Amino acid sequence: MINVENVSMRFFITQDKIQSLKEYVIKFLTRQIKYEEFWALKDMSFEVNKGEVVGIIGRNGAGKSTLLKVISGILRPTIGSSICKGNVVPMLELGSGFDHDLTGRENIFLNGAILGYAKNFLEDKYEEILEFSELGRFIEVPIRNYSSGMLMRLAFSIATVVNPEILIVDEILAVGDANFQEKSKARMLELMSGGTTVLFVSHNLEEIRSMCNKVIWLDGGQVKMIGDAKGVCDEYSI
Amino acid sequence: MNINLKQGCILIMLAYILIASSFYLIAKEQLIYSVVSKEMSTSEQLLPVGEIVEGMTVVQPFILNADTLESVSLYTATYDRMNVGELTVQIIDLSTTFVLREKVFDLTSIPNSGLLEISLENPIQDVNGKLLAIKLTSNGEKGNAVTVWQKNDLSQGQTLLINGYPTDKILCFSLIGRSLSWVGQYYFHLALLTGISLGSYLLRLMMAKKKGQICLGLRVIDAFVKYRFLLSQLISRDFKTKYRRSVLGIFWSFFNPLLTMTVQYIVFSTLFKTDIPNFPVYLLIGIVFFSFFLESTSMSLMSIVGNANLITKVYMPKYIYPVSRVLSSSINFLLAMIPLLIVVVFTKTPFTSAYLLLPFIIVCLVVFCMGMGMLLSAAMVYFRDTQFIWSVLSMLWMYSTPIFYPVSIIPEKFMLLYKINPLYHFIDFSRVVIMQGVSPEPQAYLICAAYAVIMLLIGGLIFNTTQNGFVMHI
Repeated sequence: MINVENVSMRFFITQDKIQSLKEYVIKFLTRQIKYEEFWALKDMSFEVNKGEVVGIIGRNGAGKSTLLKVISGILRPTIGSSICKGNVVPMLELGSGFDHDLTGRENIFLNGAILGYAKNFLEDKYEEILEFSELGRFIEVPIRNYSSGMLMRLAFSIATVVNPEILIVDEILAVGDANFQEKSKARMLELMSGGTTVLFVSHNLEEIRSMCNKVIWLDGGQVKMIGDAKGVCDEYSI
Repeated sequence: MNINLKQGCILIMLAYILIASSFYLIAKEQLIYSVVSKEMSTSEQLLPVGEIVEGMTVVQPFILNADTLESVSLYTATYDRMNVGELTVQIIDLSTTFVLREKVFDLTSIPNSGLLEISLENPIQDVNGKLLAIKLTSNGEKGNAVTVWQKNDLSQGQTLLINGYPTDKILCFSLIGRSLSWVGQYYFHLALLTGISLGSYLLRLMMAKKKGQICLGLRVIDAFVKYRFLLSQLISRDFKTKYRRSVLGIFWSFFNPLLTMTVQYIVFSTLFKTDIPNFPVYLLIGIVFFSFFLESTSMSLMSIVGNANLITKVYMPKYIYPVSRVLSSSINFLLAMIPLLIVVVFTKTPFTSAYLLLPFIIVCLVVFCMGMGMLLSAAMVYFRDTQFIWSVLSMLWMYSTPIFYPVSIIPEKFMLLYKINPLYHFIDFSRVVIMQGVSPEPQAYLICAAYAVIMLLIGGLIFNTTQNGFVMHI
């Protein structure tokens, strides 16, 4: 399903980001451009089979988010390749692409299109999204007037309406008030248990233990350990 | 609206046949004949040849490289008085001294320091390369006759003969002729050939689809089908948010070009005198076309940088961003065509079937802007100076495009610079269509299409090679 082969990801870190031509020319001529290479991912290989729920753990800066971005196609690896078969829904951030001048309804279609949903699908699921988000008549109001909780509810409802073949989640399990948090958690669990292949980043080891059947432990851009959930989590928490 | 590939291909073939045949009907005249003109320039010092009195002959030999001679114009003068008598203008064949055409003008109808146009209702055939001459005689008396202007002959042409004696001057005259163009002669062959190659390509696409092969055409179609909805959402978003919270809303799309035109019209018709016929339409065409170019390029310039939060979070092909911006401003462009049509109606410019050619130039311009937009948006990611450079550059571009001034004020030596300006060709094309109501010459189509495609290729290539680095630089 997902095949990551020898993926390495290099970033250049300059001392100060050069953003203008003049600056570039001057620095280039005076040989002040110092690039510092930074390998966020180093020669990473693993496979995820269909229907597996894979947890990714690691400290901050271990390369978890970079890995998810490479798999979802946002970043192209410097070396190696990552191949996904099936439609991928990356939930790296909720509500990307919301336009604050548009109404909730218009944003459902805009955000849905950005996430790659088809028009018919959105029209069919519109009621479901509306119901789940509990926005009611506020759906016709420009979302610049929404509270942040309302925004998150709308975003979550749009993002989780699909049944993707591959779901990539970066810690967005619970949003909104206590009631909605419970509801959204249930929705996530439902999504993850429905035979979907899931890649799941979390710092909550309990969650990982209970939901994943395979865990990848990243450290310094490399796979430190890969195996069944219990074994890796036990090792990690020491 | 769901159509499969086969139906789509059949539709394309039918559309091609329809377009190819209706294009012939619309542009027949310009396809078959190309106009050949030999213009005189009146910029040098002009001298009168002296009164043309009884017994005096003025003969100006010429060779026109065209199939037929349609009209002759002379620059005449009357010494600002009413003369009595007649001026006889003859076109003669110098080798046989045959009089081919003859026209007699009453001396009172001769303009003073103006153009006397002699259009031949029955054009002279087969003039190509032949040595012909204009012969002027008059029965005017001294102090009561007209004259024509001449100038010093600097080029090695045929010099003026007065009473049979050669002089070192040349008459001020211009000729208009027509030639058969090969495009017109072979139009149906060309159309058939294009049709066959189009058809065989479509067949190939269908075969490839059946066998499950991947080729460029199929990828383009797939991408279009897949991202059609996203594209339409992004376009409607741009369009909705543009005028949201403004009172007049969408009407600004109409008013903006109209108001710009009014301001520039007042400035250029009162402060700077221009003698462009039908100036409001001339001006508005330039404004509408150029402001679309300006709007779409400056909008797509920011398209990658401005959508940074999306690009780093969601995967979609990055070309969607500049392309959607250009398409959303092209809706604006189409709306701006409405005030243009209103002005066309008001100035009583005749509507002709040539207006059906406008979609061609609109598509060319949109494609050109897409290429430019991709180039700029990619450049913007790496160098934020691009936006400031572009604002200066686009202003320079605006002034070097004949929007509010005629092309004729450009000195000959700078003409080459104008000829490489793609917007000059786009605007000129639409001016010919709208103001003269005829199709431009066949090569104008070729030039416009070539500029559009080349720009798209350059922009697309640069965008494609740099796009993998976008995420790290925004």
